Amino acid sequence: MKSARVIALIAGFGFLFLALAVQGIFPYVMKEAGPKTVTRTVRTEVGELTAIGSAARPYTALEAQGRAIYIREGCWYCHSMYLRPVAGEDRRWGPVAEFGEYTHDLPHLFGTRRIGPDLTRVGGKYGDDWHAAHYFDPRMVVPDSVMPRFTWLFTKDAASGKQVLNEEGKALVAFIQNIGMSRGKWRDSFPYQILATGASSIQTEVSLSHGKAVYLRRCVGCHGEKGDGKGSAVSLVLFRVAQPRDFTTGAFKFRTTPSGSVPLDSDLFRTISVGIRGSAMPPWFNLPEEDRRDVIQYIKTFSRDFEEFPPGPPIEIPRPPKPTPDLISRGKKVFEEMQCKECHGAEGRGDGPSSNTLKDDFGNRIPPANFTTGIFKSGPRPEDIFRTFMTGLNGTPMPSFKDAFTSPDDGWAITFYVLSLSADRGK
Amino acid sequence: MKNHSEGELVDNKIVSTWMIWGFFWAIFAPAIGILLSLKFNYPDLLSTQYSHFGRLRPVHVNGVIFGVFSTIFLGLVYYMVPKLTGVRMYREAWSKYAVWLWNGTLLVALLSVLFGYNKGLEVAELPNPLPLGLIASLAIIGVQVFMSIARRNEEKIYVSLWYIIAALVWTGINLVYGNFVVPYAAPGVNNAALHGLFLHYVVGLWITPAGLSVVYFFLPVAARSPLYSHKLSLVGFWSLAFFYPFVGIHHYLFSPIPAWTQTVAIVASVMLIIPVWTVVVNFFGTLRGNWSKFHDDFTVKLIIFGAVMYFIGSTQGSVEALRSVQKPTHFTDFVIAHSHATVFGGYVIWVLSACYYVWPRVTGAVFHESIAKTSTWMIMLGISGMVFILTLQGLIQGTVLMEGAEFVDSIVSMKPYWLLRTLAGITMDIGIALVGVNLLMGQRKTGIEP
Repeated sequence: MKSARVIALIAGFGFLFLALAVQGIFPYVMKEAGPKTVTRTVRTEVGELTAIGSAARPYTALEAQGRAIYIREGCWYCHSMYLRPVAGEDRRWGPVAEFGEYTHDLPHLFGTRRIGPDLTRVGGKYGDDWHAAHYFDPRMVVPDSVMPRFTWLFTKDAASGKQVLNEEGKALVAFIQNIGMSRGKWRDSFPYQILATGASSIQTEVSLSHGKAVYLRRCVGCHGEKGDGKGSAVSLVLFRVAQPRDFTTGAFKFRTTPSGSVPLDSDLFRTISVGIRGSAMPPWFNLPEEDRRDVIQYIKTFSRDFEEFPPGPPIEIPRPPKPTPDLISRGKKVFEEMQCKECHGAEGRGDGPSSNTLKDDFGNRIPPANFTTGIFKSGPRPEDIFRTFMTGLNGTPMPSFKDAFTSPDDGWAITFYVLSLSADRGK
Repeated sequence: MKNHSEGELVDNKIVSTWMIWGFFWAIFAPAIGILLSLKFNYPDLLSTQYSHFGRLRPVHVNGVIFGVFSTIFLGLVYYMVPKLTGVRMYREAWSKYAVWLWNGTLLVALLSVLFGYNKGLEVAELPNPLPLGLIASLAIIGVQVFMSIARRNEEKIYVSLWYIIAALVWTGINLVYGNFVVPYAAPGVNNAALHGLFLHYVVGLWITPAGLSVVYFFLPVAARSPLYSHKLSLVGFWSLAFFYPFVGIHHYLFSPIPAWTQTVAIVASVMLIIPVWTVVVNFFGTLRGNWSKFHDDFTVKLIIFGAVMYFIGSTQGSVEALRSVQKPTHFTDFVIAHSHATVFGGYVIWVLSACYYVWPRVTGAVFHESIAKTSTWMIMLGISGMVFILTLQGLIQGTVLMEGAEFVDSIVSMKPYWLLRTLAGITMDIGIALVGVNLLMGQRKTGIEP
């Protein structure tokens, strides 16, 4: 019996607990192994971005419920939740995972397989509308997706007859949208997403047929086969934030060209790459450049405006100045002078007197931007906000202020004032 | 019905009851695998709230580990231990509680997962407190085994018994640890570390020693040749016992888990080459001068084929733990190739091969040679094809992603391979289903040599 006991004790208990101690318990009690702080990107009082160390935020009740649904449905079998510093993952998805980010995760959801993309940095990447459409039928918005449908997270909206998320669905979206948000506004300084180049391809049979193929694989679910913004996703699921662009009108919001003009190819390229934060339009910076360029040529075929009315000369966007408190207070003055509060409210919360009545050119309600959220549809760089002031947003009540400003400095002042409204105070 | 033949040590009835459950799981769990693999190409196929990918995957994984493999192995324990100790199993009346507790619990637990009760930890999904049923069943078996060893007639403890002892001790502890400690202890990154250890204890401290005990027993008896080297089996056992507990963190390389912990896991993973290669050499050596058995005997044929897959899969595992290899291959089908090569290609095939030896002896039924031949070929072709395709897929997806391909594009490039994988999977799954069906349909004959 002696040898049986030896085996049971040494092999069975001894080595097992040795390993458990070395690999599991020792690292856990080691102080230096568990830094609790997370690198958090925040906006300063003058609207700049900076990184600070801060603690991970705990889950709200709603997010915790969403996390339980994420576990229940086994999302974590196909979506990992940590980014490695190798294989380009910090360019594809975002900053590498930090120890402190997982402080409140029990059980952990690292995952071991990626049949779908990693979700460490998914928070804020897509809009709530996109997630709703994607859960209802992933193949509407990503035709090549192999994800199951989650139709039991929906209920029918009586007014529109369309699908809306039920309580569980909303909880899941709340969880997904807050994954990685302990890192704050990292996305606003993520060079691979916000970078935009000015190159463009030319319209040929080849680029058009390639562009169409790209369109049918990436865009058709929302923008529709005819480019009229009536894709299957919009017809089945209620989009609450914004309707997909109707390309046939030739009206595009985010441009360097004068008010009323069609955009340059490089404007469309930027919007496609950066996405429209908060709306269902995701950033496509991972797409090969030629895909993005050629799909622009195809999108332009939906409206004759591009042929008949060539784009006007683009504005010049100079290098932004270094923001100072003086610049911010000057910006505040410009904000008041320009009557911004009529729509956006005195504090920029999007709650001005006319905010409830505004409609875009297509008759859809269009709430003015709430600057305090820090979510800027046109892009997070000072240049993006500046551009919006100088060219306006075609198809919306937002005019161009190019001629109203006394100098471009007014533009920069109000730009940084708007950015400063989303400063992370006391955090 | 009498459980024992005259003067026999083995409780035939209990062995066959375990095996019948095993044959059921061997049809059920792989069938779920086929459905899962089809969903890669046809995601809407039979997809409901209770049968979509996220709900079915744990049923497949737990069904194979705790159903197919463990159930047949535990049946074989009731055959091997009396033979190796020279005494009947201690408290034979307890055996039936163990078998029904194990399989009943598993059935209920897998259904609960389908209904959304999932603990969120891979291979520890089964909702609490149900794993207690599995643990209690193992405890019963453990007591039976240890008391039988204490009362044994044979002086020496054969290597199979070492592995059985170690597997039962390890897994008794590990199932408590994984199901009742990890889900509640240490949130965050440390939870991943603790879970990684559990995850690989299931593979390394249950499936591996259990599977090896089966081969160490059935290869010599089926081939009628003595074990090649007892010294090698010592080296194999102790190197496995020492290195395997350390490897778990290699599931999370490049994660925020402290880097030195990862390095220890990598070193241990590579060192596993020692137990793997010594064991394989020992198996092949046992057939020295006796290779005709490989041709004649289904048990020997499948064991040796399994040893080849085990060698390939485990060596792949050691290489896969290297940081440079993990860069492209982690998170891809490369890992799935490794798990199928070892768990299916090695261990499940080994326990099935033992059924060809044991079933006729405990039931007196003779199986059809021709069906066994067909089934063996389907198993061998199916798993070989599957491992090859999945390895290739992993390398392709891993490298295109490293080159910066858009993620969905990398998925699109996988789709044709996934179809081939399904075909390979169907082939091997029909093959293993046939093993059970063939044995169950066997004609009762008398006069089988014990």
